[in-house]
Amino acid sequence: MDTKYYTTWEEYLAEHPELEGKPEQAIAPKIVKYEDAMFTFIMDLLL
Amino acid sequence: MTDAIARTNERNQLFKDLFSGNTPKRVPISNPATQDFAIQYAGLDLAECQWDLTKLEPVYDKFCQDFYTDTYPGGSIRIPSHYQILGSTPIVMSSSGFMQHPDVVGMLAEEYDEFIASPYDCIVETILPRLYTEFNGPPGKVAMALAKAMKAQADDLASLGAIRAKMNAKYGFATMVGALTEAPFDFMSDFLRSFKGISGDVRRYPDKVAAACEAVLPLMIKKGTLPNPSMLGYTFVPLHMAPYLREKDFAALYWPTFKKMVETLAGMGQSVQLFVEQDWMRYIDYLYELPENTIMRFEYGDPKLIKEKLGKKHIISGLYPVTLLQTGTKQQCVDKAKELLDILAPGGRYWWQADKSIIHLDINGPVVENLRAVLDYVHENGTY
Repeated sequence: MDTKYYTTWEEYLAEHPELEGKPEQAIAPKIVKYEDAMFTFIMDLLL
Repeated sequence: MTDAIARTNERNQLFKDLFSGNTPKRVPISNPATQDFAIQYAGLDLAECQWDLTKLEPVYDKFCQDFYTDTYPGGSIRIPSHYQILGSTPIVMSSSGFMQHPDVVGMLAEEYDEFIASPYDCIVETILPRLYTEFNGPPGKVAMALAKAMKAQADDLASLGAIRAKMNAKYGFATMVGALTEAPFDFMSDFLRSFKGISGDVRRYPDKVAAACEAVLPLMIKKGTLPNPSMLGYTFVPLHMAPYLREKDFAALYWPTFKKMVETLAGMGQSVQLFVEQDWMRYIDYLYELPENTIMRFEYGDPKLIKEKLGKKHIISGLYPVTLLQTGTKQQCVDKAKELLDILAPGGRYWWQADKSIIHLDINGPVVENLRAVLDYVHENGTY
């Protein structure tokens, strides 16, 4: 998706260097989960 | 193993067989009555129960006990709290407590190019503020409204999920998961351009309509993708506008992105259930082209033609006219169920559902008795 309002994990990581060295396997699923939850919520408003 | 777990296992197997094209032990059944119906059946206030979901557990318990079904009945995607918090205009509660969808225009014709350039940006920046009043105003106020609405919806879904888990544990329903999406053309129509708007666009700006459908396709696929695609999960896709299009417009504007979407979702290893609304008989050969074992719940159409043309490749459902439950005798209702069973069940690939959901209940009418008789008849006579 070409959008300002949905960020992939790779894009998020690039924007947040403070996460370097932190447990990515624990952080990534959580960040992605809420990104997807927001996407689903927004789209449901139009379905 | 408890009886309920054994029933769940048996019902899951019915649907695994059905969705994989094998003949199940018997015809699976889904009760077409909705949560709205269940609340009225319990004699409770519709608006109050949708706002206070704690009242729904006994409602569902009675509903599940009194009407045969293999899948969890009811459910609702139109819970009022988050719509109210966001100042919704496309989904509103009527004075009688039913959630309704007035015809709205979320996107103007001159905004096609903006939408095509980035559909999701256009949705967030232009369409939602037009349809939901609380998306307007100072950024902090908008952020807080959005946070409140998401929290409200999450709480409501958790309440409904807890009730569902209890009913599944007690009654042993099949444990299926679902997602919801739309055909790109329908998405452009329903909340964005409106029935009237898209009907004019098809003639005035067909290239822009086609480009918009292509642009929004990735969003519709993402929306319809299950977190963990599996044989017992399906994406529900209600189909709206095709019967109102000329075939050449359908072929050029509706079909290409819709077909791509269904093929992509099916390619992930999950089922797709189409709610084929209105009459699609003139498009029946198109439907044949969709991936094998696509579930097609028809509203109207010729059951014999549907079985003949689609029944060896796809899974057929629907067609039982719920209006008959209100106007017919118990015998007429059962006879209709038998007629459809005789036509559609042979060879498998048949899931008993009605042609549409039952929302309103005239408590003094014959629907309760007729519905119960039909569900029991199919359960008792649908064995292969």
